[in-house]
Amino acid sequence: MFFENVDFSSLEVPAAAQALREEVCTFLQAEAAAGTFTPQVGHAEFSAEFTRKVAARGWIGMTWPRRYGGHERSYLERFVVTEEMLASAAPCAAHWFGDRQIGPSLLRHGSEKLKERYLPAIARGECYFALGMSEPNSGSDLASVRTRAERVAGGWRVTGQKVWTSWAHKAHAFFVLCRTSPDTGNRHEGLSQLIVELNAPGVTVRPILFMNGYHHFNEVFLDNVFVPDDRVVGEIGQGWKQVTSELALERSGPERYMITFPLLVELIRRLGQAADVRAQEWVGRLTARFWTLRRMALAIALTLERGSGSDGGAQQATVDLATEAALVKDMGTFYEREITDAARLLAGVEPDPGAHDAFERYLAEAIVYAPISTLRGGTTQVLRTLIARRLLGPRP
Amino acid sequence: MNAPNEIRAMLVESATRLFADHVDAGMLEAAKRDGWSAALWAVMESAELPRVSVPEEAGGAGGTLSDLAAVLRVAGRYAAPVPFVETALLGNWLLAGAGLELPRGPLAVLPGAPLSGQRSGDGWAVSGKRGRVPWARIAARLVGLAEADGELLVVVVDPAACLIAPGRNLAGEPRDEVTLHHVPALLAAPASAGVTARTLRQRAALGRALLMAGALERALELSIGYAQQRVQFGRPIAQFQAIQQELARAAGEVAAAVAAALSAAGAVEQRGEALFEVAAAKIRTADAAREVTLIAHQVHGAIGVTDEYPLHHSTLRLWAWRDEDGNEAEWSIALGREVQRLSAEGLWPLGLAFQAQH
Ligand SMILES: Cc1cc2nc3c(=O)[nH]c(=O)nc-3n(C[C@H](O)[C@H](O)[C@H](O)COP(=O)(O)OP(=O)(O)OC[C@H]3O[C@@H](n4cnc5c(N)ncnc54)[C@H](O)[C@@H]3O)c2cc1C
Repeated sequence: MFFENVDFSSLEVPAAAQALREEVCTFLQAEAAAGTFTPQVGHAEFSAEFTRKVAARGWIGMTWPRRYGGHERSYLERFVVTEEMLASAAPCAAHWFGDRQIGPSLLRHGSEKLKERYLPAIARGECYFALGMSEPNSGSDLASVRTRAERVAGGWRVTGQKVWTSWAHKAHAFFVLCRTSPDTGNRHEGLSQLIVELNAPGVTVRPILFMNGYHHFNEVFLDNVFVPDDRVVGEIGQGWKQVTSELALERSGPERYMITFPLLVELIRRLGQAADVRAQEWVGRLTARFWTLRRMALAIALTLERGSGSDGGAQQATVDLATEAALVKDMGTFYEREITDAARLLAGVEPDPGAHDAFERYLAEAIVYAPISTLRGGTTQVLRTLIARRLLGPRP
Repeated sequence: MNAPNEIRAMLVESATRLFADHVDAGMLEAAKRDGWSAALWAVMESAELPRVSVPEEAGGAGGTLSDLAAVLRVAGRYAAPVPFVETALLGNWLLAGAGLELPRGPLAVLPGAPLSGQRSGDGWAVSGKRGRVPWARIAARLVGLAEADGELLVVVVDPAACLIAPGRNLAGEPRDEVTLHHVPALLAAPASAGVTARTLRQRAALGRALLMAGALERALELSIGYAQQRVQFGRPIAQFQAIQQELARAAGEVAAAVAAALSAAGAVEQRGEALFEVAAAKIRTADAAREVTLIAHQVHGAIGVTDEYPLHHSTLRLWAWRDEDGNEAEWSIALGREVQRLSAEGLWPLGLAFQAQH
């Protein structure tokens, strides 16, 4: 029913990727030791300095063609790098969107000019992107966006409001989903994706503070912002199709079940060799669930790999595995809460955001950020509706 | 590496056809009474299914353990009332490894610590008592491990020479108490390297997990079919979002169970001993069984809990199998200890890179 063409019994990361894993691991240990970053659990931090170093190693745009600054490496190698970044809770926010969504989307839909303008800069770790999809009245119902673009000489004038835009206050540009022609009944038509540079006249970014006072996301106001024709991504009117394929890409990676993994590792460290049967049982179960999620994510990565033979093949495979990716995300995001709960109940410490001990600080972070993973990138309910559609077929 | 395996796909297809053609409501009802289906077993034997993964030189089909795993999953899906795991995955493995001839007919395997063996004439006699032995009373032969003169032997005995007190699991499958009192071994030979009571138990748990993966798929299939056909409030209940969300959750659990069980089979195939993966598979399938059986029954309403509707063939087995060969608590503790042994440094990346290392 799912993973039809996957042979789980022989699924493995090839030995070549193992060498890469060690390389990334060594790099991350050195950077953490040098104080370039402090591991943080719950969401990825933004660090331009770190991103540039990662880029210098060739770990951004790994699967992209060389002529756009990419490294023509495999999806599996990218998978391994992502895993290591997550296991170390490294600050990848500056390149996460660009590497995972913007890049693949530009490769598939972007004009030559757009690819040349942005891809090499993203891969060098010098250009950071945000995503402007959500609006005050359009969350899960994304097709209802009201931000609109009007045709003017040489381009478009964009007016509207985006919200929850992660890192818009640090990014250079963002993808804006907007209406380029009025809703005439079929709401999935008439939507387009434009690239808006955040320093353009008419753009205002205002912080929205997270409940712990942290500045992560923003609201972005667009007031008659001029966007030249050559910043249109793909075709005018095809925005909906493009966005849904990006979402499928966003859902398929280890970031959907590994955000709190460092907390599990610290929990294990804390338990040491204690003969605590209750803890052993909990750790065993969490490990079993983790291993299973990883097998499924690996299956998706390997299928991407297989599909990537011809140009655009990877995206085709993504579409075919969209339901599997939704399954992994749905289960992965709940799994992360299980880690948090186990850590809390087994350790019996009060969550302290100022703790010096890594375990205690991670626990406090994991609790506060727990609600976000089941919201962003498609809520639990939206994902399950998507899965049910595959189970039940289209509604008669 | 990950390419669809065509030979295995054909094997699965023909096994699916075989079970679909031969397992029906009548057979499953009769099996509740008789303990098993001799007719189904005969068909399986003539298709050589119990010997799928037996090497050719030992008289088998020469397939891999993963080939057999794929077929066991299908057997679980059809609730096949036969000692397939015991014969194909356990008994034939013990026998072929020890260079013993494989008997015809279904095998039961004595679990737990090795029996005690004593010299008896030119051969051996074995003694011991084992509870809840799957399929003992319908087996043609019992196979087990025995310790004799400090050596680990694979022994074959005639069930007629043992005292067998019948018992059953929730689904009516035989789970019998077997007492061996100086029972002569019909065949005996030293166990091959890698065969221990520990690896035998791991394989038994793997087999159970594979059957569970299939049974979980069937419970989900029945639920999807029923939801599309049952009409309440003027429309099929599948159109209610509450039902859709539960089916989606069940689908995730089923996909995870299948992924875990098949992955563990690959690990056992490659390494023989695979505590980490087998434990994970038994835990994950048992966790899925808890969620999926309850969702399936909820979606079905009252009809699902009846003797006449087929859902119980899957759910009763799942409730039985999750506790057989170690429940999820026992395997979780074992895996938790293994993780402690690996330590915080060893769990990642090495612990999880088992697949790449070996
Ligand atoms: C930390 C964080 C970072 C984010 N970053 C970005 C970003 O960078 N860019 C961006 O564009 N967006 C971002 N988002 C927004 C995110 O994509 C939205 O939160 C998400 O799409 C859900 O929309 P909403 O919050 O408006 O909730 P709503 O859609 O209003 O949903 C509220 C509740 O109703 C449920 N619901 C809605 N519709 C249905 C339905 N049809 N059936 C059943 N239940 C339904 C939902 O599941 C949810 O439980 C971010 C969100 C968070 C939390």
